[in-house]
Amino acid sequence: MKELKEISKQNPFKVPENYFEEVNRKILSETAGIYPGRIRKSIIIRLRPYLAIAAAAAILIVLSYTAVRIFVPDKFKPGVPVITVSEFSNNYLNEIDILTLEQNAESASLPNVASGYTSNDIIDYLVFENIDIYDIYKYL
Amino acid sequence: MGSTNPENDISEFLKSDVNKGFRIIVERYSSKLYWHIRRLVILHEDANDALQNTFLNAWRNIGDFRNESSVYTWLYAIATNEALALINKRTRNTALSLDDLGSYFVDSHEGSTWFDGDEAQKKLQNAILKLPEKQRIVFNLKYFDDMPYEQMSRVLNTSAGALKASYHHAVKKIEDYLQNG
Repeated sequence: MKELKEISKQNPFKVPENYFEEVNRKILSETAGIYPGRIRKSIIIRLRPYLAIAAAAAILIVLSYTAVRIFVPDKFKPGVPVITVSEFSNNYLNEIDILTLEQNAESASLPNVASGYTSNDIIDYLVFENIDIYDIYKYL
Repeated sequence: MGSTNPENDISEFLKSDVNKGFRIIVERYSSKLYWHIRRLVILHEDANDALQNTFLNAWRNIGDFRNESSVYTWLYAIATNEALALINKRTRNTALSLDDLGSYFVDSHEGSTWFDGDEAQKKLQNAILKLPEKQRIVFNLKYFDDMPYEQMSRVLNTSAGALKASYHHAVKKIEDYLQNG
């Protein structure tokens, strides 16, 4: 008996004459009367118009922000004025400073303050708690 | 819309003109699919039914074709399932096993009308029919259609490694049958 590799791979089965032309015609005529399943596009293609709108909006926002930053002078920009540490110490601390606070604290009567706390302890506490110097000034 | 890969052309046609795309699919693949089915079900009438069901199924589910595999792979998967469904139905209705049917077909006079092979090819067909169902499919796809394992894995939803092992076992069994059967 022949080995597998020696046996012809040629198709041993037969079909009626013109079978494939006829079956193709039959398949196409049968499916013509049936509505096909809807072709689904990939999710990227379906989202493409929305992605385009989102991208355009993002570009517009970035351009607007950049334009404001470049063209609008600082003095027109709202918000809390920024001052440097040297400006603060030169302009504000000269009026009221920690030493003055310390002197006033010593002479002030501080009700309900436990004994044993020095002025330095109190000032250290105020600084540590980040108490606004304007608040302190208000109460003096 | 043209591209060097004919599969891409079909996919493009399916999206832009589904009727034209489907006609191309039928004309291009009906023969290949028919022979794949025929080697599984043996009888021409059964293969004819399964082939038409395959394309009807494909048409109805053409929206599910997502281009994740090729049209060819997708159709082969549908055709394989149609052939298996038909075999199972026949087994339930006739209580005739496939290798009984195959032996009858290749040896009988009626069978000889639709079988044109020599003695060696007859024996090969009998040997193939004795394989378990899934192994028979693997052997046919590899031996006759020369389908790559990676593509076969998408058709049969099985790993390429498992398919390789299955094919080698099938070849061994067939060779034993040819020598000793």
